[in-house]
Amino acid sequence: MGVHKNQSWFFRMTHEKQDTLVKMLILSMAAVLSFSTRLFSVLRFESVIHEFDPYFNYRTTKYLAEEGFYNFHNWFDDRAWYPLGRIIGGTIYPGLMITSTVIYHMLNFLHITIDIRNVCVFLAPFFSSLTTIVTYLLTKELLNDGAGLVAAAMIAIVPGYISRSVAGSYDNEGIAIFCMLLTYYFWIKAVKTGSLFWSTLCSLAYFYMVSSWGGYVFLINLIPLHVLVLMFTGRFSHRVYVAYSALYCLGTILSMQISFVGFQPVQSSEHMAALGVFGLVQLHAFVNFVRSKMTTEHFNVLFRTLTMITGVVFAALAAVLAASGKIAPWTGRFYSLLDPSYAKNNIPIIASVSEHQPTTWSSFYFDLQMLVFLFPAGLYFCFNKLTDSNIFIIIYGVTSIYFAGVMVRLMLVLAPVMCILSGIAVSSTLDTYMKNLDVVQKGKTSKKKTDSSYTFKNEVAWAVVMLMTFFMMTYTFHCTWVTSEAYSSPSIVLAARSGDGGRIIFDDFREAYFWLRHNTPEDAKVMSWWDYGYQITAMANRTILVDNNTWNNTHISRVGQAMASTEDKAYEIMRELDVDYVLVLFGGLTGYSSDDINKFLWMVRIGGSTDKGAHIKEQDYYTPNGEFRVDREGSPAMLNCLMYKMCYYRFGSVYTEQGKPTGYDRVRNVEIGNKDFELDVLEEAYTSEHWLVRIYKVKDLDNRGN
Amino acid sequence: MSVRETHSIFFRSLVDRGYELTFKSADDSSLSLAKYGEFLFDNLVLFAPSVEEFGGTLSVDAITSFIDGGGDVLIGVDSTVGDTMREIAMECGVEIDEEGTAVIDHLNYDVNDEGKHTKIVADVANLIDAPTIVGASTKQVPILYQGVGMVADSDNPLILEVLTASSTAYSFDPDEAVKEYPHAVGKSTLLIAAIQARNNARVAFVGSLDFFSNDYFSSAVQSMQDGKKFDKSGNQELATALSKWVFKEKGVLRVGEVKHHRVGEKTPPSAYTIMEDVIYTIVIETLEGDSWVSYKADDIQLEFVRIDPFVRTFLSLKGGKYESVFKIPDVYGVFQFKVDYNRVGFTHLFKTTQVSVRPLEHTQYERFIPSAYPYYASAFSMMLGVLLLSFVFLHLREDMKEKPE
Repeated sequence: MGVHKNQSWFFRMTHEKQDTLVKMLILSMAAVLSFSTRLFSVLRFESVIHEFDPYFNYRTTKYLAEEGFYNFHNWFDDRAWYPLGRIIGGTIYPGLMITSTVIYHMLNFLHITIDIRNVCVFLAPFFSSLTTIVTYLLTKELLNDGAGLVAAAMIAIVPGYISRSVAGSYDNEGIAIFCMLLTYYFWIKAVKTGSLFWSTLCSLAYFYMVSSWGGYVFLINLIPLHVLVLMFTGRFSHRVYVAYSALYCLGTILSMQISFVGFQPVQSSEHMAALGVFGLVQLHAFVNFVRSKMTTEHFNVLFRTLTMITGVVFAALAAVLAASGKIAPWTGRFYSLLDPSYAKNNIPIIASVSEHQPTTWSSFYFDLQMLVFLFPAGLYFCFNKLTDSNIFIIIYGVTSIYFAGVMVRLMLVLAPVMCILSGIAVSSTLDTYMKNLDVVQKGKTSKKKTDSSYTFKNEVAWAVVMLMTFFMMTYTFHCTWVTSEAYSSPSIVLAARSGDGGRIIFDDFREAYFWLRHNTPEDAKVMSWWDYGYQITAMANRTILVDNNTWNNTHISRVGQAMASTEDKAYEIMRELDVDYVLVLFGGLTGYSSDDINKFLWMVRIGGSTDKGAHIKEQDYYTPNGEFRVDREGSPAMLNCLMYKMCYYRFGSVYTEQGKPTGYDRVRNVEIGNKDFELDVLEEAYTSEHWLVRIYKVKDLDNRGN
Repeated sequence: MSVRETHSIFFRSLVDRGYELTFKSADDSSLSLAKYGEFLFDNLVLFAPSVEEFGGTLSVDAITSFIDGGGDVLIGVDSTVGDTMREIAMECGVEIDEEGTAVIDHLNYDVNDEGKHTKIVADVANLIDAPTIVGASTKQVPILYQGVGMVADSDNPLILEVLTASSTAYSFDPDEAVKEYPHAVGKSTLLIAAIQARNNARVAFVGSLDFFSNDYFSSAVQSMQDGKKFDKSGNQELATALSKWVFKEKGVLRVGEVKHHRVGEKTPPSAYTIMEDVIYTIVIETLEGDSWVSYKADDIQLEFVRIDPFVRTFLSLKGGKYESVFKIPDVYGVFQFKVDYNRVGFTHLFKTTQVSVRPLEHTQYERFIPSAYPYYASAFSMMLGVLLLSFVFLHLREDMKEKPE
């Protein structure tokens, strides 16, 4: 009876109301799902900030929440980049910190007392819920409600996006994807309506995007590209003119308010496309206006002369500006977008970051699964019904798939458009075939039932629908599995399976950082490879030499030189930089593979990339056969450098695996080559439980001379 | 006769200067420098060249840790030098020649020499140029010396060559024919070596135990080479001056109060801003007798360092304090005020104070710079223009309607 009553309650509503209710239900479920699927790491470990960059963001957010905006804006951090210091206020995108501080203050104003850390941890899942809703809106504008719902459901669990937005992964990208899609949504709205209102909203969304992620450059190139394509395809209209002109002017002025961006929008080459298209839009509109007032012949003459003159003037202007250095040369990161081998050949610091590596094919499938195959179908459906907004999504899809191929990190930009296009594909397919289903309902006798030109219509429709359902189900299972297995590890706490199947937790990082915090002088300077810089400042509260904000290549290179040199050479560098402690990561005992020895070649390359480190040659660290080894065959330079000694100090007398000799490295799977040595200029200060982190103290000069 | 008696003048001079002497023989089983982790003595005199093994807990390690703990040691050896003494010397970067050898100088020996030319006359010109160590204006009296030669470790930057032999001297066993190259030759042969450790502990090695003896203190000197005769050797003056330096009666400096702040303020800010004027004051005192008095010198420098010094300036004495006023350079970062005063014979003064220098805050930039006026003008004229245009636009609407008609 109850069921019947409910049904009647549901069916008593008008058709539109039913429709809305179902949509709302699906959408809110998708939003909730996208939040909850990102909580694996919190449930499995604890509410903790992940990885490296998030620690910096967390630290700055805390500062902002405690000290207020102006102090934050003027913050000069003397704990990092000793002795250079870093102007934090002027070298970060503050959007993320401001967002979470605003949320924090709002909640506290409502007497919901919450720790700033928890705001930070749950910010990314929260924003992915919002992203789900924006995706629905955006896709709805492109096709229809159905596609929007499918796309929303898909983006809720797409691993490519989850990888950057699990709880605890407190990074710019977490909110930037939301901002990006919001900007796109407003842009599509603006193009469709041609109203100033929407394009103003669009530029505000763009401002938010600029304030939160450097990836805004993609956006400010994509929108002009869209406008350009619209012009070439003869779809240029007043609506586009209004939308783009307003967006460019407002957006540029707003984006220049972010001090890290500064004058880049009018100077650097990355933003020149937007400026050029802006000019072109004006010209195009002007030409259209003139054309409407003149005869064709007169117009042609005028047009030709004008094009010639403007072309020459622009070329001259560009040449002068480029020569005088007003147009900044393209930055390395940008070059590496266009030419994947550029960074590898020229800028070791960029190439050394794993997320800047080109994407492998397997990771496309891993991160997107079904979407890879649905994407072309979605493109097909878009081409089928070409509109201004569809052109936009086609361009977005095609460009981002290229960028995602160049850099693993940009998979993040690709994931939303994959979801949108796949949503369109699935929805369109289902739309087509659902109609053909022969469902026994009120209207039992439909006309379509007897269509002689289309045999097995019902069966085919059933097959397609079932297939789609099956695809969607495998997609769901895959996504959940990937999220739980691959993307929910905080990487500050490690977990491994022991021999009997139990879980071992390696909490060495925090152990070591807290040791530093409690056992070293307040102003001690810690040298480590830059990867751990943010964590050391945030957790150990000690001064560090280099960190993940790799702004000064020379300084990082100096640290690389110290690591790659022999002890006495390194001692000179460490004295020069006032180093008190040196921290290394060593995985040889536990088998943790992303340790410093595996990163060591990058230290050598980066160390050797500046003038002062010219004596450090990568070749010296290889065996004559060109291999990088730490066993008996290893090169003498390798076996005597500071990094080797710090990692393997006392390791030569430790049994790590049954049936293997002492000093058996479980990452490299070799017995180390140089077992018995003493440290002259360093003394071991601390080694964590599983030897993951080793800290050494730099000795003073000997009291009696040498 | 024990050393205590043959060297009584030297010991008496120490007692006269207020020291409490405790005499122990080297094989005394109660020998010990430290008790319950505290040192029992401030200074140590070792006149036991031939000792092979100390009694009690005394050992090479005990002596080096005494030095590392800030204790001062005066060591006298001679040709009977044993391995223990040589080891202590090695720990301090001084290499004493082997047992049985002596410094031989066939030209500058004393007339009373017994024929082996080992009782040499050291020229005062070979003394180190440091009044705090060798005494002010040492009278031009040569020094009598008979004992082993020493060599300084060339890698050790702390060694002071207090007295070197003349260029005609060498160190070898006087009873044997010189078959191999001598251990030390000419000026590189050290007669008196000293070291001021990085913790300012002072250690002196005298290669001749007789140098301190009553006999040498009072005997006449006459070098065979130039034949000048002096009634009394310079040994006593040098020994007194040397012991004063070693036992930290002379040439001891310390840093008193260090202050730094902006010009016109009293307390240091949490961080300086670039281009600010800053005052740095430091009190430097020296020990005279028992009291600390202001130290006077005109060569003390202050550096403002961030890896490299950005400012290097002299400190001038004003009212008992050294002071310097300078402008912080237009460079931000973590800087150190550094006073590094290292003079031979004096305590090594090293004082660093770390401060942060931050860039300008957003409110500290100049607001109205002349070069910006054109932009202000253009902005306001633009606003005016738009205003006028909108007026014109609104009012011309009527005319537009009329035209088509």
